[in-house]
Amino acid sequence: MRTIIHDLDESYDSLFKSKNENVIRADGKYAPCQGCFGCWTKQPAQCYMKDKLQMVCRMIGKADELVIITDNYYGAYSPSVKNVLDRSIGVSTPFSTYRGKQMHHTLRYGKKKKLAVYAYGSMTEDESKTFRYMVERNAINYGFQEFEFHYLENLNRLEEMEL
Amino acid sequence: MKIVFINGSPKKKLSVSSYLLGIVRLLVRGKVVSEQVRNAGDHERVLKSIKDADTVVFGMPLYVDGVPSHMLVFMKAMEKFCMDNNISLKVYAVSNGGFIEGCQNRPLMQVLENFCKRCNFQWCGGVGIGGGVMLNVMRIMFLVYTGLFILNTVTSGLTAALPIFAEQLVVVLFFSLGAFFYCLRMGIAVNKGATCGVKFTRILLPSFLFILAADIFFVIISIFQGGIFKGWLSQKE
Repeated sequence: MRTIIHDLDESYDSLFKSKNENVIRADGKYAPCQGCFGCWTKQPAQCYMKDKLQMVCRMIGKADELVIITDNYYGAYSPSVKNVLDRSIGVSTPFSTYRGKQMHHTLRYGKKKKLAVYAYGSMTEDESKTFRYMVERNAINYGFQEFEFHYLENLNRLEEMEL
Repeated sequence: MKIVFINGSPKKKLSVSSYLLGIVRLLVRGKVVSEQVRNAGDHERVLKSIKDADTVVFGMPLYVDGVPSHMLVFMKAMEKFCMDNNISLKVYAVSNGGFIEGCQNRPLMQVLENFCKRCNFQWCGGVGIGGGVMLNVMRIMFLVYTGLFILNTVTSGLTAALPIFAEQLVVVLFFSLGAFFYCLRMGIAVNKGATCGVKFTRILLPSFLFILAADIFFVIISIFQGGIFKGWLSQKE
């Protein structure tokens, strides 16, 4: 199963939804993570904040392939996309293990296939390097076996791609 | 010289970020202002505060390998505000992650450096700390031990209470030594307006012991909060 997270407008949302079952439009109309760990310790895989991201970790957790399309913010995701990721730590459990020779949380939904990130907007060379590194780290964190990072010079390319 | 400390933790109290900024602040002289950014409602106040500042010291938690989303919103607003008002700043940062390896903060530090380049600020360096939650536990232990010391002094006398307290203090301080050292070193750099590079440190405990302690910590919290009885580790549909 593929899940798409994007911060584009409704026309792209319709385009992605015509080909994919699970599309999360990161429109920013939700609260940021409060760092309470309640999605581990109180209501597993569920946020205490009752907005559209309350169950988002389940949708992300069940995805074999996660595709993220995001504006570039200093070599990182846009705040609305990052907010979705910040609110999704319930994809893992509170228990810890080693992955990539470093400490990470064990995966509630097991290992997954691929994380692909497409970033658009103005991007410097340093930001591109940072973003690629960030995606690599995220792939380890979420348990993806492969990762891809692409810079989209033109959003029209999305229509040609098989997303 | 005006230095603004910006705490980017969403937590109202007992945040590790404010604790670490407090340690940096110990050695900083000049006009020091402490601010916190929890949401967009804080932006106007904090931006006003940095208008006449020379230096900004960020403190924030590591969220999913990077800067928390609400801080990215603030940084974008800060970029525009500083460009519009021709503000030039020196920027330092302290971040802390839940994982034991301090180097897991590296992507966050790179993002902050990129932010400084975009804003024409001088990136003066940062400290990425691993095992942040345990730093907080150590802080709470310190307060508990101090309370017990006072109690022991009253009941058994200072001579009996002091050696026990000293031993407990050494243990608590030892685990946090790396964080203390680099935070204090940053404080000295802030005073001189010097760069301090990007350094990574951690709670001084072997990772397998830290993992064991973290697992026990979450089991206890999950028993009290009830999560352990609600399909704690199961795949929720």
